[in-house]
Amino acid sequence: MDSNQLRFVEDTLDLLNDLDEGLLQLEANPHATAPLEQVFRTMHTIKGAANMFGFDNIGNLAHQLESLFDLVRSNKLQVTDSLISITLQAFDNVRNLLQAKEFERIVKDSLLQEHIDTSISYYKEAIASSNIDETVSTIDKDELVTYFISVTPSIDITKDGNHPLVFIMLDLEGLGTSRTKVFAQGETIKQWHLFIATTTSLAELQSYFLFVEGECNVEYQRIATGNLIEDHEFQQCIEKFNDGQFQWEKLLEEATQAQERLKVIQTEELVEKGGPTTPVRKAQSDAIIKVDKRKIDDLLNWISELLVLQAQLSTISNDSNNATLRQVAENLEMITGRLRDTSLEIGLVPIETLVTKFKRFVRDLSKSLNKKVNFLSEGSDTEMDKDVIEMMSEPMIHLIRNAIDHGISSPEVRKAEGKSEFGTVKLKAFNSSAYVNIIISDDGKGIDKEAVLRKAIKEGVVSEDITLSEEEVFNLIFHPGLSTADKVSDISGRGVGMDVVRQKINELRGSITIKSEKGKGTAFHIKLPLSRSIIEGLLVKVADTRYVVPLNVIERIDRISYESLYAGERVNTSVLVNDELLPVLSLRKQFHNDVVDVPKTADVISISIDGKRKGIAVDKIEGKMQTVLKPLGDVYQQQDFIAGSTILGNGSLALVLDPSRLLKLEHNKN
Amino acid sequence: MQNESQLKSYITFGLGDEKFALAVDHVQEIVELDKVTKIPNAPHYMLGIINLRGKVLPLLDTRLKLGLSEALATKKSRIMVIDIMVTDEKVIQIGALVDVAKEVIELSPSDIQEAPEFENYNTKTPITGVVNNKGDITMIMDVNKVFSSADILQLNQIMN
Repeated sequence: MDSNQLRFVEDTLDLLNDLDEGLLQLEANPHATAPLEQVFRTMHTIKGAANMFGFDNIGNLAHQLESLFDLVRSNKLQVTDSLISITLQAFDNVRNLLQAKEFERIVKDSLLQEHIDTSISYYKEAIASSNIDETVSTIDKDELVTYFISVTPSIDITKDGNHPLVFIMLDLEGLGTSRTKVFAQGETIKQWHLFIATTTSLAELQSYFLFVEGECNVEYQRIATGNLIEDHEFQQCIEKFNDGQFQWEKLLEEATQAQERLKVIQTEELVEKGGPTTPVRKAQSDAIIKVDKRKIDDLLNWISELLVLQAQLSTISNDSNNATLRQVAENLEMITGRLRDTSLEIGLVPIETLVTKFKRFVRDLSKSLNKKVNFLSEGSDTEMDKDVIEMMSEPMIHLIRNAIDHGISSPEVRKAEGKSEFGTVKLKAFNSSAYVNIIISDDGKGIDKEAVLRKAIKEGVVSEDITLSEEEVFNLIFHPGLSTADKVSDISGRGVGMDVVRQKINELRGSITIKSEKGKGTAFHIKLPLSRSIIEGLLVKVADTRYVVPLNVIERIDRISYESLYAGERVNTSVLVNDELLPVLSLRKQFHNDVVDVPKTADVISISIDGKRKGIAVDKIEGKMQTVLKPLGDVYQQQDFIAGSTILGNGSLALVLDPSRLLKLEHNKN
Repeated sequence: MQNESQLKSYITFGLGDEKFALAVDHVQEIVELDKVTKIPNAPHYMLGIINLRGKVLPLLDTRLKLGLSEALATKKSRIMVIDIMVTDEKVIQIGALVDVAKEVIELSPSDIQEAPEFENYNTKTPITGVVNNKGDITMIMDVNKVFSSADILQLNQIMN
């Protein structure tokens, strides 16, 4: 594929995400115009680009589906489940093909032809059966009425969640001139106040809430005819009403006055423009440019070099008595610090794309399992490294899949337990210092501690007489081959998964913790470093080499006498550390000279890998540090137990260890 | 008459008492030997990594790579920073340790004689030509043959 075709693939994959989002909105709200337009527009863009770059079959498919949605636009076809489904399936196939990134395979795909045929036949049926029932009420275009609609959700809803109500409100806003006020507690929406001047009839407004009747309480008030929102004074009254300064009666009084004022203006202006003023949707204000990732990497490289130089300058200036030099060095330190932060941010993207993917996933999965699931997301504007997002996608899908499959019971069971029929899966993302936190929680059954323990004992993972803390029991579910699902379904419960989830997170030098309460639900808290190139760890010394041990895997540190590491040839090679026999790998013994210049004591760093505790012995721990990780490159591919290197303040290098690979190395030797 | 445009620049360096030359366009710069951080479990000729103004480079021993014995580092030891083509698009940078770096010379193709068969080298024919300046022999080295990354990676695998 040439570079233009590759660009097309990248762009289209992005567009497909938008399309998914639009289709899901449309499904939740079949009469809405905004998502319909978005879907139509996106398909049109894909069609144009596909034809231009020689992906004729994708272009053809997009064209056929576009025709279908054109029928919807002209009211000749209803949005139905089957329409949404065939569209989603068709574009799923396109997505899979594009991800393969092989031109030949894409243009010769036979499955795509099936999708094209399906949509053509759907189109023919639609044309045949459309005796064009124009039952859509003819509206008196001149009749503008200002309404007040207050919506109180009776279930938890967040602004960026997938609940149809959020989209319904957005669509209502699009029906005329409107003012919306959202009353929220944290991220949870308590109430909407919507003032809208529209030609849409009250009955039609009400129809928007048809499918969400059980989940919210809607009150409609007709204020007056005319577009009162155009009146500035009345706008202020609305704000006062929303703030609780005005009573409803007072607002109505103001409304009559506003109506009078508008009449005067209208007669003066002799009404030049007809029809309602269409509200301008909140525009995406920030311009976005696409940049080659390599350029960003280069930039980051130069900046880390600058950081090293700056650190050297600071050392020199601190040793000198030159006040001006110190001043300059301090300022430089500040500026380079900012430069580093900004440049790190460049490589970050919002996790929004991930959230869209999850919404879609929750929809499909809950449908196939006959469960009712409300997916809430919070903080989808939280930013993460693009590579990290891609790497985390599968593990997070797995957690959500588990939550829906194992955690949330069927609506009947939930009802019997006195819970709402709708289960909730919530994704919450937020930043804290140099980490991104992601919490995936559900309000399902929770983890059955006894069942996990029973299973673990049965499988021989732990011995029978062991006493474990709650945390330790929960951590058992990460053990390979331990799955508590009694019935193995094809969706989850194959026992592969949770260990992979933790492994992926460990690879990214992150951590995962579990909180769970029986009957109330489970929460997984994932903590990931903001950038893959920033590492926090312990700087240690072994012989004349410095290593960095990533902080995320470290459990405890003990100092022991050096001799106790070397008991000579024996059966028991474990070392007694903190009254526990620990298998210890000595870096000195493994990689360096263990005869000359041996220290008196050794520091043993206990780490937990795959639920097993092991130790790494070093000469001395020198301190904690946060630093930029530099890969070793292709030449040292075989030495994969070294994750990379990092430059210390004095310009020398330290090797960053990959503890799990290091300990596997030891394992293979034995 | 020699054609000016056919002149090519070479950097000469010494290993033991022998003189070698590398085409100058492969060599980014020449730096003094500073602190080397050894990577455990790597083949002997892979000396470790160095910090070149914030860039981390692997350092290879040219002597060992050519089958010579290891020499102690001296004040004259130099690191030649060399670009090696891995694929058409990918270039990796390495540091190559030499005993001494000498000078830049200009040679035309007619100065270079065909190289005889060298049988003691463990890398196949890294010497593409020989310059005989009144008995002073300089060997032209093909950088991609000495430090071909496929070779490096392969050797690395055998060692492990």
